[in-house]
Amino acid sequence: MKTLTTRYLMACAAIGAATGVLLIPAFFVSFTISAAAPLAYAAMAGVWFLGPVVALAVLRRPGAAVLTMLLAGIINIASPAGPSAIVTNLMVGAALEVGFLVTRYRIWRPWLFYVMGVLFQAYYAISAYAYFNIDDMTVAAQAGFFVLLLGSTLAFIKIGLVIAGRLAAAGVARGIAPVSAAR
Amino acid sequence: MSDSILSLRSYNPVVKVLAPVPAMIVAGLSRDLWTPAVFAVIGLVMLLIAGRPRARTLAWLLAGPPLLVALLTVSFGVWTDPALVDDTTAVLELGPFTLWSGALVTGLATGLRVAAVMLLALIAGLTTDGTDLVRSMIAHLRMPYRIGYAGFAAMRFVPRFRRDLEIIRLAHRVRGVDGGRGPVATLRRYSGYAVPLLAGAMRHGDRVSLAMEARGFGAHPTRTERRHVPLRARDAVLALWLVAVCFVPHLTGVL
Repeated sequence: MKTLTTRYLMACAAIGAATGVLLIPAFFVSFTISAAAPLAYAAMAGVWFLGPVVALAVLRRPGAAVLTMLLAGIINIASPAGPSAIVTNLMVGAALEVGFLVTRYRIWRPWLFYVMGVLFQAYYAISAYAYFNIDDMTVAAQAGFFVLLLGSTLAFIKIGLVIAGRLAAAGVARGIAPVSAAR
Repeated sequence: MSDSILSLRSYNPVVKVLAPVPAMIVAGLSRDLWTPAVFAVIGLVMLLIAGRPRARTLAWLLAGPPLLVALLTVSFGVWTDPALVDDTTAVLELGPFTLWSGALVTGLATGLRVAAVMLLALIAGLTTDGTDLVRSMIAHLRMPYRIGYAGFAAMRFVPRFRRDLEIIRLAHRVRGVDGGRGPVATLRRYSGYAVPLLAGAMRHGDRVSLAMEARGFGAHPTRTERRHVPLRARDAVLALWLVAVCFVPHLTGVL
């Protein structure tokens, strides 16, 4: 509780609010296209990583991804995206956070973000098999689904890291991150 | 806020968010037509009777799910592997492409599944106020109130973002930051707003946190609330009903 300073909480609230606003249209679009055009859905699935990547890369504190995604989920729940939003958001935030937890928050290199993103999407694709009826698709569609899912994940993590780098260069999180992000 | 027992708005927000989750899982993992159809109808009826939607939301509720199901049914005719369903009847032949009835059934099941999960999610989504949800999470889920107040702050940040975005947009235009026309240029322009918007928001967050601490925020382990969100017997009934609904798939043999 001591580490949850008010400044850190408000920084998470700022990133979480931005993520929530970004994800409201994403939830609407994903509901309509998730099964109608599974390939288009795979191409946009990486957008969920933008918020937690920015939060972790800028704030560099334990819990930043989970907290930011919880707050983003609270923003989303007031919209008709409903409770599935908070569960989805927390799942993504926690998945990214796990990688930093097991390395005891000592490694902040970009590769760890990418590895956790890919691991989560692999797990997600397997768990979503039944929901999206992936095993009934043609082989070409299946291959396309995985390639697009992977590509969008890596692309959005890259975008998140670039934004985080620029924010750190602007000096906004100075004093929050124990290890300076502007390195 | 209506306090009638027939209005979903009078129920506890945390219960409304958590109680449909088992039903959503059952509906999401089902492979038949019967289960998701029943869940979709239950969700829709609950929303129509107790949700009291406004005219526009009502129109979306009535038109949206059938449209979604129809769209998915047709599109899945295209996505499904023909080798799996070519023992069913061919509905339509268009050159090399054949639309099998089996593919349509698969699509119908997927559409009903998505519609069911969406309607169950809307039970909370359409009838819950964000601030009441946070209050209830602090009171009933024992979430630390400091995190809850970060949630309140995040909600208040949203209208501020809209104003900030407008200011940044105008500032860019004054300085002639213009990538040209077309979707790519628009995308590039919007990505140029992301960093100043976030930097401004985080600086605002710093100021808010100073103002909060100056007023003694977080000085005590607990905090009393002016507005109280009740947790009543009716919430237990709602939760029991939504859990009981999960046993619907096992009724196929009876009916």
